[in-house]
Amino acid sequence: MEKGIADKLLKKLQNFLRLYENSSKTKAIDLMEYELGELEHIFGLLVLSNFVGLPSPPMNITLDMLPDMEKHLIQLINKIETAENPLSDLASILNIT
Amino acid sequence: MKTNSKHHFFLGKGGVGKSTISALSSIKLSRDKKVLFVSMDPAHNLSDIFAQKFSDKPKSVNDNLQIIEIKIDKWIKEYLNDIELQVRKNYSYLTAFNLDDYFQMIKYSPGIEEYAMITAFKHLSERYKEKDYIIFDMPPTALTVKFFGLPHISLLWLEKLLELRKQILEKKEIITKIKIINKKKETDKILKKLNLQIDLFKNLEKEFTNKERTEINLVMNSDKLSLSESKLISSKLKEFNLSINELIINKISGSYSSEGIDNFIKYDKLILVKLSSEELIGKDKLEKFILENNI
Repeated sequence: MEKGIADKLLKKLQNFLRLYENSSKTKAIDLMEYELGELEHIFGLLVLSNFVGLPSPPMNITLDMLPDMEKHLIQLINKIETAENPLSDLASILNIT
Repeated sequence: MKTNSKHHFFLGKGGVGKSTISALSSIKLSRDKKVLFVSMDPAHNLSDIFAQKFSDKPKSVNDNLQIIEIKIDKWIKEYLNDIELQVRKNYSYLTAFNLDDYFQMIKYSPGIEEYAMITAFKHLSERYKEKDYIIFDMPPTALTVKFFGLPHISLLWLEKLLELRKQILEKKEIITKIKIINKKKETDKILKKLNLQIDLFKNLEKEFTNKERTEINLVMNSDKLSLSESKLISSKLKEFNLSINELIINKISGSYSSEGIDNFIKYDKLILVKLSSEELIGKDKLEKFILENNI
């Protein structure tokens, strides 16, 4: 009987730890994905800066990359909407309320 | 079979006689070598010098000499059409539609002209590699300096972009591993394109700095304006690790001393060319001038 309770407790503890691990993992991935997103923004901004009026690399570099950068171009345009409030963007990813 | 021709570029301030000097050089070399003479100057004047019409298709002037006048606008159009086609193929309809206006504007963007020249140069050096020499009559200073500087400047950007792209891909891989996604590793198209561009410009840089393959010849006159622009060209080329092979002082009349010129411009060989007493128009007059002046 006592062994049964101990087993149940151990299982619950294992479940809890697994849940905790998964939630930490998700949190870590969220942060890394945010960082990745920002790196992609920087890359997009550097290559496609000509389209938003910033100093740009030689036009041939921009044009050569352009056919494979639709996602970056859309991100760049969308980014303009949150550009005035970058802190709220950061707060939402860090779950700060 | 021969695989690579030698490239001779003639550059200098507008009006110093680049086209005439490069025409003289082409005719002389074509006595015993196969030569392709290319006008890269958007304001072509080889048709006037040889007194016959040329186009972007090679036309023979003698058994060994062919002449082409490059149409830069045509190269720009072809390049942009190709990019536009790729964009339309890869993008969603709406994004491609929104880019329409940009493509109308891009052809006037700075940097397009020199890239079109690079593309034309690459095409000609591959297409006519059986020639012993390809002689290039270059446009006046600004565009020529941009042409020679493009590989250097592009590489500065490309190497930084490659670094950033690798960082992005590394992060992507870590995320995929944590998420334990069994995803087949894809080749990043952007990374591939960056590497292709780096290869292209590294090869061009290597070719331009290889004195066995490339001769950069600077044409100038004996006046002060011409000297000061030639000094500028020389210092700009030095920034891109390029050096002048022949310094040709053209249209010399009366007594002229070149003493001290090497304090300003570094060169391997100095050539002095007298002012012709008659207009050098037509192949016969050019040949006569070569004989009389022992060029």
